[in-house]
Amino acid sequence: MKAPVVRILLVEDSLSDALLLQESLSEDRPGDFEFTHAECWAEAARCMHHNQFDMLLLDLSLPDITGRDTFLRARAEAPHLPIVVLTGETNEALGLDAVRHGIQDYLIKGQAYGRQTVRSIRFAIERKQVEEALQHTEAALRESEQQLREWNADLERRVAERTATLEETISDLEDFSHSITHDLRAPLRAIRSFAQILGEECVTCGRPRAQEHINRITSAAARMDKLIQDVLQYSKLARSELPLEPVDVQALLRGIIESYPAFQPPEVEIQIEGPLPRLLGNEAALTQCFSNLLGNAIKFVPPGTRPSVRVWAERLEDPKAEVRIPEEGRSPKPDKCDELLPIGTDQSPVTKHQSFVTQRATRNTQNAPPSSSPLPTVRLWFADNGVGIPKDAQERIFKMFQRLDKSYDGTGVGLTVVRKAVEKMGGKVGLESEPGCGSRFWVELRAADQPG
Amino acid sequence: MNATAILYVEDEETDVMLLQHVLAKAGIHNPVRTARDGKVAMDYLAGHPPFDDRQLHPLPGLVLLDLNLPYLSGFEVLEWIRQQPQLRRLPVVIFTSSNRPDDIIRAYDAGANAYLVKPNALGDLMTLVLALRDFWLIQNRLPH
Repeated sequence: MKAPVVRILLVEDSLSDALLLQESLSEDRPGDFEFTHAECWAEAARCMHHNQFDMLLLDLSLPDITGRDTFLRARAEAPHLPIVVLTGETNEALGLDAVRHGIQDYLIKGQAYGRQTVRSIRFAIERKQVEEALQHTEAALRESEQQLREWNADLERRVAERTATLEETISDLEDFSHSITHDLRAPLRAIRSFAQILGEECVTCGRPRAQEHINRITSAAARMDKLIQDVLQYSKLARSELPLEPVDVQALLRGIIESYPAFQPPEVEIQIEGPLPRLLGNEAALTQCFSNLLGNAIKFVPPGTRPSVRVWAERLEDPKAEVRIPEEGRSPKPDKCDELLPIGTDQSPVTKHQSFVTQRATRNTQNAPPSSSPLPTVRLWFADNGVGIPKDAQERIFKMFQRLDKSYDGTGVGLTVVRKAVEKMGGKVGLESEPGCGSRFWVELRAADQPG
Repeated sequence: MNATAILYVEDEETDVMLLQHVLAKAGIHNPVRTARDGKVAMDYLAGHPPFDDRQLHPLPGLVLLDLNLPYLSGFEVLEWIRQQPQLRRLPVVIFTSSNRPDDIIRAYDAGANAYLVKPNALGDLMTLVLALRDFWLIQNRLPH
């Protein structure tokens, strides 16, 4: 296959040298090269202006420019053209200098031209092409980099804008809940208080129906107020960050029970079957959760029943496998109601917490350093002797304002708060229950400490 | 010596009525004057007309100050009080429905002597009024 003709611009002031070169190259490879001859740089520039060339053969002593300036100028004015310079025999250093300045090769004048020269010319063209391609790639790369930087800057700007919008929204929401507290509760306070005053004045009025109606106003207003407070508490919780820390849940539960007479004997009995492990959670949120769970446990009992609640911990074996085990597969389902009754029944499921206790006991003797393995999951159980919850309602009770039995006081927000809080702490909540058999609610969180 | 007068700065008429009801029920007979906004409160405290008769409009020994007021906020009234040479030691108890931490901090920074959140139940208001009486009107020594 024949290579295309190489169009050479030969810049050489000596006509004889020029002819010699042309002849020796053409002799060796006839038809491979097509020469245009210029005698000075000005003429060469004109030629390049009017014609396309594949390369430049450049003598370094021209009438209008000599030496180093020659190749520097040629390089500058024909930046994309392959250039081979011709140097004198005594001046090879100049040739090397030229190569260092982007010239593709040099030939020593007067030496026999021939195959070597042809190869030099072809290499020069090839080298320049590679160089150009490289420059192209580099330019493309720089462009991409620039584009990337611009996109990045754009992205950062958009994130900043979005963050600002979100912050504004949050601040709006805060103002909104603040104005709810202020503006919604103020008229309610008036309704509630004046109804009460009216009720007091009515004690002696001898109209029992009127008294009853006033009582209804008072309790409805009180309920409305509680609803607003609960919803506010929920929205505050939903918005806030819950930093996790090791929490001594046993002490926390004891504290809650001690500070509420409603959680104490003789009216109710709450037993903590400890020791309970420390859990990773947020103390304020956990206080809220436990109060709500205990409050529910003692509230929803059949009339005439003394509420009794048991709390214990169960360590789940494999935190990873845990996620997919179905509810039924995890702890034995009670066949009879007796097993759900928390206190005073021998069959109560103490085996679990006993095994937990034993594990704790052996672990404490070793004081092992923390390892990188995931912290075990612990399930805190709250078992009550209440009315129980039918299966088909067990998911619904965690939704806002859902109340199964309106004969019990409540706003239907308590369990919604529990679920939100526990999920924000990376845990889960659930329950096992049957109507008439009490309920066992559970809260699952990471343990704060590694086992043994 | 006359009983300490109380100035209640409050724009909500029902709140004024409730407090008066509870004060009466608690048997507290100290003179209670009310101001419906911050401007009126300043005029009253400064003794500007129509409050220039101190027999009728006694200088209070205790101010109950709502924060959410028309024209001037409770904070502005409080700051103004603290700038008046003859009023700067006057005990000011903030009495508001705002529970916001920002408001509480700002109130104390401005020189509030106490910060009370309005209770929502009448019984709680009674408890609060009795505590107010015991502390600010009986136990506490007021600057004169």
